[in-house]
Amino acid sequence: MKNKGIVFFLIILAVVIVAVVAIDFNASKPDKQPANPYAFNVDPFSRIDTALILFKESRDLAISFSEPTGISFRGDELFVVGDQKMQIIEPTGKLMNEVSFDQKPTCVYASAEKIFVGFRKSITILSRDGVKIADWNSFSDSTVITSIAEKSGIVFVADAGKRIIRKFSFDGKAQGEIEGKSGNDQIHGFIIPSPYFDLAFNTDGELWVVNPGKHSLENYTVDGKLRTWWQASSIKIEGFSGCCNPAHFAFLPDGSFITSEKGLIRIKTYKPSGEFSGVVAAPSKFTENGHAPDLAIDNQGNIYALDADKKMLRLFVKK
Amino acid sequence: MKCKLMLDRYLQMKNWIKITLVFAFLMFNLAGMAQKQRFPKPEFGTGYSQPTPVTPEPRALALEYTDVVVLLIVLSLASWFAIRKRSRKGLLWLSVFTLLYFGFYRNGCICSIGSIQNVSLTLFDPGYAISITTLLFFLLPLIFTLYFGRTFCAGACPLGAMQDLLIIKPLSLPEWLRKTLGVIPYLYLTFAILFAATGTDFIICRYDPFVGIFRMDAEFHMVVLGIAFILMGMFVARPYCRFLCPYGVLLNWMSRFSKYHLSITPAACIQCKLCSDSCPFDAIDYPTDEKQSKNTKWGVNRFLVYALLIPLWIFIGGFAGSKAHTWISKANPTVYLAELLLSKPEVRNDQKNLDVQAFLSSGKSLETLVKEATVIRQKFYSGGWIAGGFIGLVIGMTLLGQVVYRKKNDYQPHKGNCFSCGRCMNFCPVKK
Repeated sequence: MKNKGIVFFLIILAVVIVAVVAIDFNASKPDKQPANPYAFNVDPFSRIDTALILFKESRDLAISFSEPTGISFRGDELFVVGDQKMQIIEPTGKLMNEVSFDQKPTCVYASAEKIFVGFRKSITILSRDGVKIADWNSFSDSTVITSIAEKSGIVFVADAGKRIIRKFSFDGKAQGEIEGKSGNDQIHGFIIPSPYFDLAFNTDGELWVVNPGKHSLENYTVDGKLRTWWQASSIKIEGFSGCCNPAHFAFLPDGSFITSEKGLIRIKTYKPSGEFSGVVAAPSKFTENGHAPDLAIDNQGNIYALDADKKMLRLFVKK
Repeated sequence: MKCKLMLDRYLQMKNWIKITLVFAFLMFNLAGMAQKQRFPKPEFGTGYSQPTPVTPEPRALALEYTDVVVLLIVLSLASWFAIRKRSRKGLLWLSVFTLLYFGFYRNGCICSIGSIQNVSLTLFDPGYAISITTLLFFLLPLIFTLYFGRTFCAGACPLGAMQDLLIIKPLSLPEWLRKTLGVIPYLYLTFAILFAATGTDFIICRYDPFVGIFRMDAEFHMVVLGIAFILMGMFVARPYCRFLCPYGVLLNWMSRFSKYHLSITPAACIQCKLCSDSCPFDAIDYPTDEKQSKNTKWGVNRFLVYALLIPLWIFIGGFAGSKAHTWISKANPTVYLAELLLSKPEVRNDQKNLDVQAFLSSGKSLETLVKEATVIRQKFYSGGWIAGGFIGLVIGMTLLGQVVYRKKNDYQPHKGNCFSCGRCMNFCPVKK
């Protein structure tokens, strides 16, 4: 036969044409709709190589909160806020004290002498035994306080709404702001698309701040100068993904970072240099599309993760 | 000899350039399919308020009339190039303009082919009024064809132009295959009218293989369809026009009665046979064989039998169509949804089934839906008789055509099938 190859090719094309029309005609029926073509499937990234998991879950503490929001560790006590209250809990789970508020706290920080409880646009300072000392209310309407830390008498407050870090003296006087901006192109400013903006001091007394829109952790001097930073943008296990991650972070005693992510919930550890070390808790440990757990670390380097979806404090220890 | 070799090389090179351009174009269409999404999504508001959706204003009336004027000019020029000027080059450049204007600029819409559905719907649905522009797009090519043959196909149809410009190595198809595939446009026309008249779907638009290319936004499977037709068209000239186009059926009928039609030769045919292989569409009728005409008695008997069988074909078709109406009517979304909700009541709880959820949230009762579906199904029953009867008629007439003897002395374009592209004219040595 002449043009055998072309004829064969034409037959294939005819089959393709008939198949496309038949499939399309049949697929448009109400019970035969294709799966949402715009669904973003992150399942492949939720599966973690077990060799990367360096921690194991050793204990869970049930907590009496319907919406726990923040956690801090100081001395031998855990400070948990949520609903309209704060509870001081021993690591064994024994409730030591409970303080009520008239609004929902967003975060908590316990220093050696005081407890700072952050609300959306105010801060309440308590003594370590839970007695109110002061209220700081001089914030703007767009303020959203998400994290507090203290060093050498200066209180650093992360304001996600205004995208700045505010500094206060212990008596509540404003000491300035850190915008994360400068003439240097390397500093963009804080990109905060969601109310997740964490800060903490490491064991060397260095201020570290999450810039979640950049997927970076940035080290500032107390007067707001950028000293160094590291960045890890990726949906793979080594990096942070989406609009705003990591949502929370804390430091191990050796200066390593422990990070907690929202969206695809996972807790990971990074070396002080920012290099990925391993996984604390894989996404399979958490509720799908749940909340990023706030973190607290005790003196032995054990990690407390506040699981707001399962309403429990989960303790992870090194394997 | 050297000249012939050079010509062959030139033609080969031309074909390769065509193939390269086609593939470059197709690759361009497939590009940009990858998209990145953000997960998780931002939670803070940005202060940006989403604008209320606004129905776009219809195309300005003046511009719509401009389209009609452009169509009129293009049809006039195509007829002039084909009949008076006898210029293949003129028709070629005109089809390039058509491809750019009605194809890429007007995005393949408004379109005479699709207008069949608007006309059908306006005839059967009193609530639907066809625009004068659409009506003119339906009528003007038919009127021109009645006078000048299918000059619309030659220079005014963007779908035809797209395929015509990409013919590379056309194969001649055997007659039996052409006749068999030639029934498909009748089926397509029948179903297009039935679906449009019952308000089910505009299948001509839905399965227009080139509109996605014109608009550069087709879904993947429609890109595949378009590419398949383009690739097929390189070897089977104008496959859509010949074996699918439902408007081509109407044009074919009109063209058979055309007053002036393109002729291969401007004067008497000298039987040189140079034009015999010039038509990529196998639309040239050869002079009839004298031996064939002698066996007339047997031919007359067959003609009478086939002619008498036509009413039977019509009845069989109509009966089959009426019996198939239940199945065919499932193509209607209302009928399908009603059947689905009756046969699988649990589908109400399927939150992912957007059609079912949309119906449930509309507040309409199932009884109302079933009543609407019953009315539509009744329309399909009547339509099934008419459509089936028409298909039966087509089959009967096609068979009858096999035994009708028409004496032809010269090489002539088949008035129904000829696209008036003018290729054959270039091969005729008689110039005046």
